[in-house]
Amino acid sequence: MDKVTNVRNMSVIAHVDHGKSTLTDSLVQRAGIISAAKAGEARFTDTRKDEQERGITIKSTAISLYSEMDDEDVKEIKQKTDGNKFLINLIDSPGHVDFSSEVTAALRVTDGALVVVDCVEGVCVQTETVLRQALGERIKPVVVINKVDRAMLELQISKEELYQSFSRTVESVNVIISTYVEPVLGDVQVYPEKGTVAFGSGLHGWAFTIRQFAVRYSKKFGVDRSKMMERLWGDSYFNPKTKKWSNKDRDASGQPLERAFNMFVLDPIFRLFSAIMNFKKDEIPVLLEKLEITLKGEEKELEGKALLKVVMRKFLPAADALLEMIVIHLPSPVTAQFYRAETLYEGPADDASCLAIKNCDPKADLMLYVSKMVPTSDKGRFYAFGRVFAGTVKSGMKVRIQGPNYVPGKKDDLFIKAIQRTVLMMGRFVEAIDDCPAGNIVGLVGIDQFLLKSGTLTTNEASHNMKVMKFSVSPVVEVAVEVKNGNDLPKLVEGLKRLSKSDPCVLTSISPSGEHIVAATGELHLEICLTDLENDHAGVPLKISPPVVSYRETVEAESRIVALSKSPNKHNRIYLKAEPMDEEVNQAIESGKINARDDFKQRARLMADEYGWDVTDARKIWCFGPDGSGPNVVVDQTKAVQYLLEIKDHVNAGFQWATKEGPILGETLRGVRFNIMDVTLHADAIHRGAGQIMPTMRRATFAAMLLAEPRIQEPVFLVEVQCPENAIGGIYSVLNKKRGQVVSEEQRPGTPMFTVKAYLPVNESFGFTGELRQATGGQAFPQMIFDHWSTMNGDPTDKNSKPGEIVTNTRKRRGMKEEVPGYEEYYDKL
Amino acid sequence: MLYLIGLGLSHATDITVRGLEVVKRCKRVYLEAYTSILMAADKESLEEFYGREVILADRELVESGSDQILDNAQDDDIAFLVVGDVFGATTHTDLVIRARELGIKVEAIHNASVMNAVGACGLQLYTFGQAVSIVFFTDNWRPDSFYHKIMENRKIGLHTLLLLDIKVKEPNFDELMKGRLVYEPPRYMSVATCCQQLLEVEDKRKERAYTPQTPCVAVSRLGSPTQSFKAATLEELAEYDAGEPLHSVVMLGSQVHELELEYLLEFADNKDAYRAAVAADQELFTKK
Repeated sequence: MDKVTNVRNMSVIAHVDHGKSTLTDSLVQRAGIISAAKAGEARFTDTRKDEQERGITIKSTAISLYSEMDDEDVKEIKQKTDGNKFLINLIDSPGHVDFSSEVTAALRVTDGALVVVDCVEGVCVQTETVLRQALGERIKPVVVINKVDRAMLELQISKEELYQSFSRTVESVNVIISTYVEPVLGDVQVYPEKGTVAFGSGLHGWAFTIRQFAVRYSKKFGVDRSKMMERLWGDSYFNPKTKKWSNKDRDASGQPLERAFNMFVLDPIFRLFSAIMNFKKDEIPVLLEKLEITLKGEEKELEGKALLKVVMRKFLPAADALLEMIVIHLPSPVTAQFYRAETLYEGPADDASCLAIKNCDPKADLMLYVSKMVPTSDKGRFYAFGRVFAGTVKSGMKVRIQGPNYVPGKKDDLFIKAIQRTVLMMGRFVEAIDDCPAGNIVGLVGIDQFLLKSGTLTTNEASHNMKVMKFSVSPVVEVAVEVKNGNDLPKLVEGLKRLSKSDPCVLTSISPSGEHIVAATGELHLEICLTDLENDHAGVPLKISPPVVSYRETVEAESRIVALSKSPNKHNRIYLKAEPMDEEVNQAIESGKINARDDFKQRARLMADEYGWDVTDARKIWCFGPDGSGPNVVVDQTKAVQYLLEIKDHVNAGFQWATKEGPILGETLRGVRFNIMDVTLHADAIHRGAGQIMPTMRRATFAAMLLAEPRIQEPVFLVEVQCPENAIGGIYSVLNKKRGQVVSEEQRPGTPMFTVKAYLPVNESFGFTGELRQATGGQAFPQMIFDHWSTMNGDPTDKNSKPGEIVTNTRKRRGMKEEVPGYEEYYDKL
Repeated sequence: MLYLIGLGLSHATDITVRGLEVVKRCKRVYLEAYTSILMAADKESLEEFYGREVILADRELVESGSDQILDNAQDDDIAFLVVGDVFGATTHTDLVIRARELGIKVEAIHNASVMNAVGACGLQLYTFGQAVSIVFFTDNWRPDSFYHKIMENRKIGLHTLLLLDIKVKEPNFDELMKGRLVYEPPRYMSVATCCQQLLEVEDKRKERAYTPQTPCVAVSRLGSPTQSFKAATLEELAEYDAGEPLHSVVMLGSQVHELELEYLLEFADNKDAYRAAVAADQELFTKK
């Protein structure tokens, strides 16, 4: 752990059900934590009861493994190393899209990713999402193509077909990588011939890389290992008669040659499979001897699948292939932090903290990012889980705990507290340690009360925050919860706090009408959250409302007249106009590409170059909102107003307030630009304080919006369904009924499976899975991921339109006046 | 008819005789209670003195609920009591405008205000420039536009009256954004706080509108029996405990008349030092 060059922090990421946890088991087994017999079934990293029952991962789980490498292998590592002992900190993450926030949190603290792809299903929607996220965080991927046994046993495909399928999968992964790669990462595409792709079966516990076979054959042929690796993939053929290598698939006489990969790599595997599965008793011992596999006493009695499992596991142990790939190809913290530092840190790239992160310096001031909270066995308390990026964290150390809203030099969102204990997180167990140097992943005890969900810990007063994580999903589905028994209310309130802490993406709030709201990313996420809340965090029986969707408020046009609002004392006046912003700008703000906390000149340049803004306008952006970072802006377009800057903070505060709860149905505003056209101020500062300006700005914002053809936006899922051809009709009919729009329909090459992609309003998605299953005889299973906000046609202030209906219902539910107020409510006449 | 009646600075009995007569016969009497306070009286003592009910009018009522105040004022007589003078440091012109719009006649009955009573310190009202308010600085709001105004005053040798922030029934803004109205406890700015803020701003802007040695006068509880003055430099006043509120500060301009100075020296601890400070300060703008 102190030799940071020999640490690898990595996450296992993939589409749901592609076998991450199962594959992780084989690594865990190598570390001796679970028995070999259980590997593949135990799902060690699925620590929760519901995870085991449902067979899916819900929370990401960390585990540290120890590995030793041969000196020969160590030589091939193209970065600084020290000895041949390695520590691998592995985080198994959930694959279901509803939990992608867990993946985000896992990626933040790791440098490499093991991307698992199902050999039969290929690259799916979530594979792409997590890969994109990983590359965005500057994380280097390696790939393992899993469930090869399924292709061989169930689909009975030939060697060449299998090669083609592998090659297609690798290609589609590389397409994604090249789309989203950041130039500083260099070439991070994966190549089987370079050993960055492994093939295997997590369930059976075997896997291999081309490199392993190259090592075997390089001795036999007397060729250099790396040369051998290149020959064992792609269009490379071996002519057994002439003993010559060639890149053509025919020999001189036109006889077809067998691909080297098929001949040297797949052939032994296929032969073993066929011998064992067809019960050819006499062939088996011959093969085993050839491959130098010896079976122990009782293992000889096995046959069929059980025997296959044992043999394959001895022949090509998964842990060997994966560990080798991880250690050789994934970067150490030292290597990775060098190029990650600037994307991890909010402050200037040349200050002490940023340099310390860049150099992964254990002697510098502490820089630690807490990416999530993990519940302890002690109810209501949490481990703060994160990574030390610089310095060394020790038990008892006093640290500055900086929440996401902390601004250097101020005291908001800042605590100075001592860390009680530092621990290593080992799946179901924790192990106390004294200290933990830069580059490692760690759990901290005793600071959970001071952090909401995530934050930065440091010992340097001048340190800025580490960058806040951006999630690819948003909490768009919400329910109201109430206690069945009135006396339990305090427990519910406490439980909601805990729930919010334990999950990076859940939102809990109180509506204006006093309801407790829980918002989550999808139906499944919501279900898990509510179960946790009822059984664990609150521990009291709950009444839960039917789920509803959250909306956004926006505008379609420029305000038709300038909105004017006067301060309560009438001496201050704000003239405001609203206009819509481009969707690209909204998304750039939401993804953090345009960041409220960036230097305003750089940001203005970016907005001008890429989003067609006027530079002067872009420089005059006063603030973003809500929460200081949302996709709505205030632009100062006034001319020569004296003392204007003195009210900037109050305008900002009023704007945050207004954008958080809009005038139409009390939802967040999205994609609206507000131009301050003019301001009149009282001559004396005392008469233009916060009490005068804040409410005025809010009213002006509302009036400007209501004058600009207000609209509401609803969230839309991207749905991906895999199914056989005969189920497609059923899918279309269900989609039609639910306002779905088909985007694409493709057959997966080499399989009878079709992939249908469609947009589906979240509002229509409740019960979608069930109806789909019914309409297709259980053959179609959808994956739904939040994709975008879509503006609904129709005037939301008109009760008879579709959006108007939603608005009325929501207002009723929230205890607001049923009618959307007219702009006159917020507009003052001159 | 709407009567705006000044109450003077301190005692219930500071009201003018005409004002008192009007109060006694009005149908409703409102006391504006947020821009300033009467130092030696409260609602109860006023009610006792006037022999009638007085309605406290807070910021919400005056600024947002003026209809209620003006209700039926076309026919009835309504009194609106303002501490100090009606059109002093306050912002009630809006109420008058709204009354006019409703066709209500308005009459003002004047009284003393800090803006004229400050003459008690010996400086002549003729040589005062623009008055400015000094507001409480917060972590992210430190308005310093007064600096510019002091500069303008002092360039032409005028004194500046600094009115100090009063926060009575100020809403807590964090709570307000959650849709709840919660009031902060009342706060009154002291002479020392004001002078510290002035020094901070000069330290930041460094345009020499004034220096730590610039002579000032601290005015405490003006118009009350315990009224007191203290003549000292800005730096000294930053350490000065002026006692109970309300406080004001006057910063001297360079046109200090002999007689003014003579009067002021009465309030100085060290007369020679103060005289020297006044002389030195006059150099500040004459050099250029």
